[in-house]
Amino acid sequence: MTNPPPSTQKPAWTRFIAPLLAFLLVAGLGVALLRPKADGAGDPLLQQPAPAFTLNTAQGRPMSLESFKGRPVVLNFWASWCGPCRDEAPLLQDLARQQKPGGLAVVGVLFNDKDTGRISDFVRQYGLSYPNLRDDNLETSISYGITGVPETFFIDAQGIIRAIDRGGMDKERLAAGLKSIGVNLE
Amino acid sequence: MLSAQLTGVILAGLLACAPVLAANTVLTPVQQQQVQRVGAGLRCPICRDTLPITESGNDISKGMLREIAAQSAQGKSDEEIYQFFTSRYGDRIRLNPQRSGANLLLWGLPLLALLGGGAWLLSYLRIRRAPLQPEAQNTGDTDETDPYLTEIRAQVAQRRQERP
Repeated sequence: MTNPPPSTQKPAWTRFIAPLLAFLLVAGLGVALLRPKADGAGDPLLQQPAPAFTLNTAQGRPMSLESFKGRPVVLNFWASWCGPCRDEAPLLQDLARQQKPGGLAVVGVLFNDKDTGRISDFVRQYGLSYPNLRDDNLETSISYGITGVPETFFIDAQGIIRAIDRGGMDKERLAAGLKSIGVNLE
Repeated sequence: MLSAQLTGVILAGLLACAPVLAANTVLTPVQQQQVQRVGAGLRCPICRDTLPITESGNDISKGMLREIAAQSAQGKSDEEIYQFFTSRYGDRIRLNPQRSGANLLLWGLPLLALLGGGAWLLSYLRIRRAPLQPEAQNTGDTDETDPYLTEIRAQVAQRRQERP
């Protein structure tokens, strides 16, 4: 009777290494891609000084970010052709209406929108009382890295961008953005 | 008096033209090449497809090209202009991301995977080939370590004997 040769087979668990690695890789990629970014996390402009600008109102009056120095600013990029902008316009108007002189400033900037008739209709429809500035050459939109509308920047009284909201805001997201610049939504 | 008025008119004319001059920056051929080169390396930020701003033709791409032209006219290097855009849009704005830092991992991993996969494939093929050689010489003998193989060989041998 001969002894059986020593087994050269690998342990059974080793066959699971490759599928396990593949699973971990796919799961890691999935989590990284699908995880929602809170308050613009990872955005290069976050915690950076807000880029300066001087733009004209619809009436042709120049207005600069510098003119709001010392006040928190909610800077909202929007367009009259943008659906989600219609959802958040009443929220921003309510916010602007609640402010006292010298308090938080709400400022709109028109992105890629030259239809003055439609802009006027939008402003009238939602009764927007805060300034809405024209960015016809898109320099300011490029300075703020706009990739679509609406996008809203929450700038604190020191001029630092503390939060960025991309996409239509609801009341909770607006409150979270305001909290980052030390303002509580009433 | 007349010359002072004339100077005033010329100055006013130049001031009125200033924004136009700024918008249509006059560039040297080298600077124009730089605008094209840098523009070809930046993606249109609002396009669904991955298009360079030199090809997308929309307003924001034109605006970005104007910005590149303005910075080129100021003597900025390619990297300085890229830095301006990445500081606003992030690395995703570049069609050809920098090969440094975490990006180096992105560039290096496929190469490492290719090398590692190739090495694994080679070693696997060698291991497979090694036991085949003695088996090829093993004519007629049964492999006692594998009962299934023994059974199959027995059945094949039986069929051969039964064949007329």
